[in-house]
Amino acid sequence: MFVPCGESVPDLTGFTLLMPAVSVGNVGQLAIDLIISTLNMSKIGYFYTDCLVPMVGNNPYATGEENSTELSINAEVYSLPSRRLVALQLRSIFIKYKTKPFCEKLLSWVKGSNCARVIVLSSSHSYQRNDLQLRSTPFRYLLTPSMQINVQNKMKSLNWEEMEKSPCIPEINDSEFCVRIPGGGITKALYDESCSKEIQMAVLLKFVSEGDNIPDALGLVEYLNEWLQIIKPHDPTVPSLRWKMPSSWRLLFGSGLPPALF
Amino acid sequence: MNSGVWEEVGFAKLWNEWCRTTDTTHLSPAEAFCIFYHLKSNPSVILCQCSCYVAEDQQYQWLEKVFGSCTRKNTQVTILTCRHVTDYKTSESTGSLPAPFLKALKTQNFKDPACCSLLEQPNIVHDLPAAVLSYCQVWKIPAILYLCYTDVMKLDLITVEAFKPILSSRSLKSLVKNIPQSTEILKKLMTTNEVQSNIYT
Repeated sequence: MFVPCGESVPDLTGFTLLMPAVSVGNVGQLAIDLIISTLNMSKIGYFYTDCLVPMVGNNPYATGEENSTELSINAEVYSLPSRRLVALQLRSIFIKYKTKPFCEKLLSWVKGSNCARVIVLSSSHSYQRNDLQLRSTPFRYLLTPSMQINVQNKMKSLNWEEMEKSPCIPEINDSEFCVRIPGGGITKALYDESCSKEIQMAVLLKFVSEGDNIPDALGLVEYLNEWLQIIKPHDPTVPSLRWKMPSSWRLLFGSGLPPALF
Repeated sequence: MNSGVWEEVGFAKLWNEWCRTTDTTHLSPAEAFCIFYHLKSNPSVILCQCSCYVAEDQQYQWLEKVFGSCTRKNTQVTILTCRHVTDYKTSESTGSLPAPFLKALKTQNFKDPACCSLLEQPNIVHDLPAAVLSYCQVWKIPAILYLCYTDVMKLDLITVEAFKPILSSRSLKSLVKNIPQSTEILKKLMTTNEVQSNIYT
C-alpha cells in the first residue's frame, strides 16, 4: 500500500508513472535511479508491501552531508510535479509466490490514484534472441491496447521496434505465438494484468546480459528520452554527462582489494 | 538484562528450515525463540530476545503480530544486530578495517544523536532488523539500529564490548547499572550462559 511521507496523499491525477521491473542485469532499476537522480525528484511516499524482501540503507541519491542521512527502504515513490512524473523504485527481489499479489496491489494503486499511464522499464536475456533480433536494435516496446490508441503513431514516427511474438513453448513447432519476455521478472505479468484492467501501459526493454549494466541503463533512459523528452535531446557538440549517476553506485563490484593479493 | 528485573510477557514461535520449533500448541518459553520481557519497575519498557532466523516470508507477519498489539504513539525502538565485516563495502580492503566496529541507521523521526557514525552508502541492511526499521520509517516511529561489524563467527567478549557506547545513550542509560564494571560482568555472563550467535553467513 502507498503510505505518504507527509500528512496528506499527493494528487497524482494525470501523472505518468515510471517504474522498473526487477529483471536481468537490474537494468530497469538502474534506469529509474538515473531518472530520479538526474531530475532530483523528491520522495513522496513508500510502497509498503510484504511482497518484496526488506532492506534499508541511507539516502542513495545523497549529494552531500546534509541529505545523506535520510533512511530509504525497498520500495519508494518519488515525484516531479512540474513534469507530471512519478517514479516508483524497487530495490529488492520478490518473495516467492508474491509476484501476482504485488501486480494486483500495484495496479489497484495506479487506478486509485488516477495516473494517466504507466511506463515499465525492463530487460530481457540477450541470449534468447532469435536471428532477426540479433541483427536489429536491442530495444523493444510493448503497448497495452488502451495505450496503443494514444501512442501508436508516435512509436511509428520514432521508428521503434515492437516486441515480437515467439512460440509460447519453444522447441515445439506448432506451438501458439505469444509475447515472451525471458528474464523480465514481473514485466509480462504486469503487462497482462494491465491489458485485462484496461490500464494504459507501455513496456520499454533492452536485450542485455548480466555484467556491468550501467551502459545498458544509460541506453534505456536515452531510449525513453526519445519519447518523453525528460531531458534535452542530445547535442553532439556539447560533451557533457547528461545523466547523473547516484552516489550509491559506488563499489558496485565489491570492496577494495587487499594489497597483499598482489 | 543483568541490571534490572525483567519478566517474561510473551513469545513468538515460528518454523523455517533454520529454526525448527516443534509444532505444539503449548510452547514453553524455554523452547520459544523470540521471547518478550518487560521491566518490572517500568512495564512500558519491553525487550525482545530474538535468537532465531526469521525468514524473509515471515518477517512481515512477525512485525504485524508484534507491533500490531502495541500503540505506535510514544514508542521508540532500538535494534541491536551483528554482521560479518566482509558484508561492509568500503574502498579499502575489509581486511584492514578495525573490526569490530559499530554503525547506525535511524528513522526520520529519531531525533537523538547516534552513539556512532551512520552507515554510509552503498551499505544496506537485510533481514529482520531491516524489516523492523522499514516498518518504523513508514509509520513514523522513532527507531535506531545499531549494527556491529565483526570478524568472528561466534560470540566473543570483544564483539559484545563494541556495543558499549550505546549503554550511555539517552534511551538505554537508565536501564543499565555499573557501566564501568561492565567488562567484568560480561565475562561472567559469557561463561555461565550459552548465548546463541545471531551472525549468519
